[in-house]
Amino acid sequence: MYGLEAISNHNGWAMAVVGISIVFSGLLVLSFAISQLHKFIDLWENRKAHLQNMKELLQTKVKEEKPDYNFSFSRDVEESVHLITKRMGEPFSLPRLIDISKKFGLATPHSTINELIKADLIIPDGKGYFYWNTKKTL
Amino acid sequence: MLDLLFQFLINTGYYLADYRQLIMLFFGCVFVYLGTAKKYEPLLLVPIGFGILIGNVPFFKGFGIGIYEDNSVLHYLYFGVTTGLYPSIVFLGLGAMTDFSSLLARPKLMLLGAAAQIGIFFTLLGALAAGFMPREAASIAIIGGADGPTSIFLTAKLAPELIGPIAIAAYSYMALIPIIQPPIMKLLTTRHERLIRMPEPRDVSKKELIIFPVVALLLCCFLAPTALPLLGMLFLGNLLKECSVTDRLAKTASTSLIDIATILLGVTVGASTQGDVFLTPKSVGIFCLGAFAFSIATASGIIFAKIMNFFIKEKINPLLGASGVSAVPGSAREVHLMGLKEDPTNFLLMHAMACNSSGVIGSAIGAGVLWSFMVK
Repeated sequence: MYGLEAISNHNGWAMAVVGISIVFSGLLVLSFAISQLHKFIDLWENRKAHLQNMKELLQTKVKEEKPDYNFSFSRDVEESVHLITKRMGEPFSLPRLIDISKKFGLATPHSTINELIKADLIIPDGKGYFYWNTKKTL
Repeated sequence: MLDLLFQFLINTGYYLADYRQLIMLFFGCVFVYLGTAKKYEPLLLVPIGFGILIGNVPFFKGFGIGIYEDNSVLHYLYFGVTTGLYPSIVFLGLGAMTDFSSLLARPKLMLLGAAAQIGIFFTLLGALAAGFMPREAASIAIIGGADGPTSIFLTAKLAPELIGPIAIAAYSYMALIPIIQPPIMKLLTTRHERLIRMPEPRDVSKKELIIFPVVALLLCCFLAPTALPLLGMLFLGNLLKECSVTDRLAKTASTSLIDIATILLGVTVGASTQGDVFLTPKSVGIFCLGAFAFSIATASGIIFAKIMNFFIKEKINPLLGASGVSAVPGSAREVHLMGLKEDPTNFLLMHAMACNSSGVIGSAIGAGVLWSFMVK
């Protein structure tokens, strides 16, 4: 048997395609592995420094997640807003709180209320309204 | 007394000589000439050429002299070929001599070693189309890897009756690299491409060099376990060289041991080419397909390098693709010389050696893959 018939009969096409694919994938994987080898070695050799960096990075992230705000409002402002919310009744909507705060002459009501939210003094009820967190004080 | 003299005369080579043996003796002399006078791969061609002479001296069958006769010395020496012992030892020595630092510095070049193995699988198709049986076709195809020991190893496993012609074809084409490869390189590349300069490779640490053989062995042999006898020894040899604590072993592997294996391999392969066994239409077919395999391997490496250049910023000199065949260091040297011809300040040798050594790994994987395909 000769020619294309012989190739097909002996499964030659499949052997050629699979064979070259295996050789290619083997050397591709090896090439990738050795291209990363020096990075792994560097990682291992400087593992203490890398661990330290990692720890510092994680600590920074934790700090970023729970920042210590230097709130610009005073205890008086906090009490004023608390009184307003008491008069409004809970839960209250933020736009209404801002309006009433403006009427009561609170300076920069938007940023003050925003900071109160960040300080967890005003917390959402999950339905679009808010209430005063009585468990927390500044 | 005359009877005795007559009996002696009819047992001499002069009386027993056959035209096929005379042809082979001529080829043996050509091999020795090419090795000694022209210095074409002398370490291979001289033992093989002389082995051809040994194997083709006519003798009376039954004396226990010939390589194919049980209990003959040559038969015992040939055992190392038929079991794949010598190729494995050669690979051990090769590993102990190979510096993989250029490959580690530019792992991308490993793909060129893979691309050159396309020649193996194209030749597999060609051999099947020419009417060879699958095991024979696989043995012929591995000539495309341009790696003598690998060719012998696979042929010993799949088609031991073809070891002679396949080994001779593989080593002949390896020796003829300076004649076969340059025209293909010139044909497939432009002058502009041949002038491409490769950047200086980065420094490779000792630790990388030590870890590499371990990683490479595990990755390659998990994929193709049948390549273990060759790759296992190759990477062991390399580890002996790089780990700095086994210098004595590395020295032995890279000098005495590989030399002994090369001598025995060459002589016995040469001796296996007895005219009546060797000079057949099959051998002619094997030689033609071997040339085809070698050319396709060279061409596919170059073409793949050109294709890679479409996708990468730092262009590769496509000549390097030709050194993806695993004829170490012949093809790397040819690439280097071709680069120097175009630009005497463009040194490609280190980069070509990277492709060359990846070609060795690639052809061993290819042999393992072909072997596993044929195991039923």
